[in-house]
Amino acid sequence: MSLVSIENVHKYYGEKHVLKGIDLKIKKGEVVSIIGRSGSGKSTLLRCINGLENHQKGNIVVSNLEVTTNDIQLRRLSKECGMIFQGFNLYPHKTTGQNVMLSPKLVLGKKDKECRELALECLKKVGMDKMFDQYPNSLSGGQKQRVAIARSLAMSPKILLCDEITSALDPELVGEVLKVLEDLAKEGMTLVLVTHEMNFAKDIGDRVVFMHDGKVWETGPSDEVFANPQTPELQNFLSSVL
Amino acid sequence: MSDFTTLDIFQNLLLAARWTILLSLIAFVGGGIVAGILILLRMTKNSILSAFIRIYVEIFQGTPLLMQLFLAFFGLPLLGIEVGPWTAASLALTLFTSAYLCEIWSGCLNSVPKGQWEAAKTLGLNYYQSMVHVIIPQSIRVATAPTIGFSVQVVKGTALASIIGFVELTKAGTMLNNVTFEPFKVFAMVAILYFVICYPLTRYSKYLERKLNVSS
Repeated sequence: MSLVSIENVHKYYGEKHVLKGIDLKIKKGEVVSIIGRSGSGKSTLLRCINGLENHQKGNIVVSNLEVTTNDIQLRRLSKECGMIFQGFNLYPHKTTGQNVMLSPKLVLGKKDKECRELALECLKKVGMDKMFDQYPNSLSGGQKQRVAIARSLAMSPKILLCDEITSALDPELVGEVLKVLEDLAKEGMTLVLVTHEMNFAKDIGDRVVFMHDGKVWETGPSDEVFANPQTPELQNFLSSVL
Repeated sequence: MSDFTTLDIFQNLLLAARWTILLSLIAFVGGGIVAGILILLRMTKNSILSAFIRIYVEIFQGTPLLMQLFLAFFGLPLLGIEVGPWTAASLALTLFTSAYLCEIWSGCLNSVPKGQWEAAKTLGLNYYQSMVHVIIPQSIRVATAPTIGFSVQVVKGTALASIIGFVELTKAGTMLNNVTFEPFKVFAMVAILYFVICYPLTRYSKYLERKLNVSS
């Protein structure tokens, strides 16, 4: 039984056909890296999985919930499926702790004390519990991204979607964020990463999905795909990024 | 010649300035409340309501405040509603202010980056929770400086109420000039009093703007 099941998904932006029939199944505990050139539809696919974008044709089912345009359904989905963004999107007017506590309080209806404990626990997991009362603009990019991960974890999702989460970071800060992801992967969290970190995809990822021209062009276990790419497009892509 | 000394003129103007300040406050608070209601109605995403609000805002922004005062003062009695200068001036200035504040505040709400909405949505917040806990607190920071800046326009706008017989600073100035025949002295004092009311507001708005730029 797969946690995420994507069947023949098509997506249009007006006239533009960005996803041209995507089929993809993701099992629980799997770490899947989606790679490809910009404009190949990888971020769009990720955003379709949690309903931030609507698809026009096909089916997406995440842990038995069909992804629709229905707001109530999407809110149910948000408890199953967290998302980390390239630009962090922390709430700038709230402290680190308040950022993490907001959703457990409003959405899960937890008491203040419970929320606080939960927030501390989640922040500890990403090594940010010391910064509980700091505002986001006093944090470095890597710290912000770790808080964003903690904020998602507080909703205890089954799956985390990561949309180029290290692309906005200075090179020396990438490691600390990838380390957190690695720990999560070891704990058995299902991760779907749109990423440019090929080494990370190779080392941590169970499976690589190469997207090209709105389609899943090539897919397979990470080591095989990187060692022995089948299609000329992937060979081309890999030689340009590695 | 009249028996008015400079001090008499000044004291009378100062007394009249109360009404300028009071009318400004009524217009500003009333306008803020109406603007808040308009924004709430716009949030319902009902297309008829949105169209109504758009037309409302365009009418009040696209016609002179003086005409709005005339319509309130002379127009309402034609409909059988008797209004004095107080009511007419308060009403016209409130509606005028609400149209501008509605635009300013909508702009501030829209200035919050889309990513904030997306983060709130993926974390399970519904539309109103996102608004109340994420979007509005951030837009208030952005809105404070332009809102206070606009309050200066409201204070100066109250001068037009003198034309429908509302005795505030400008009207008092005109009346004092009619008895003293010293227009330069009288209107210079009027101008100074307006400046004394407006200058702190302008400075405060500038200060908030700078503070905001530093912190963001």
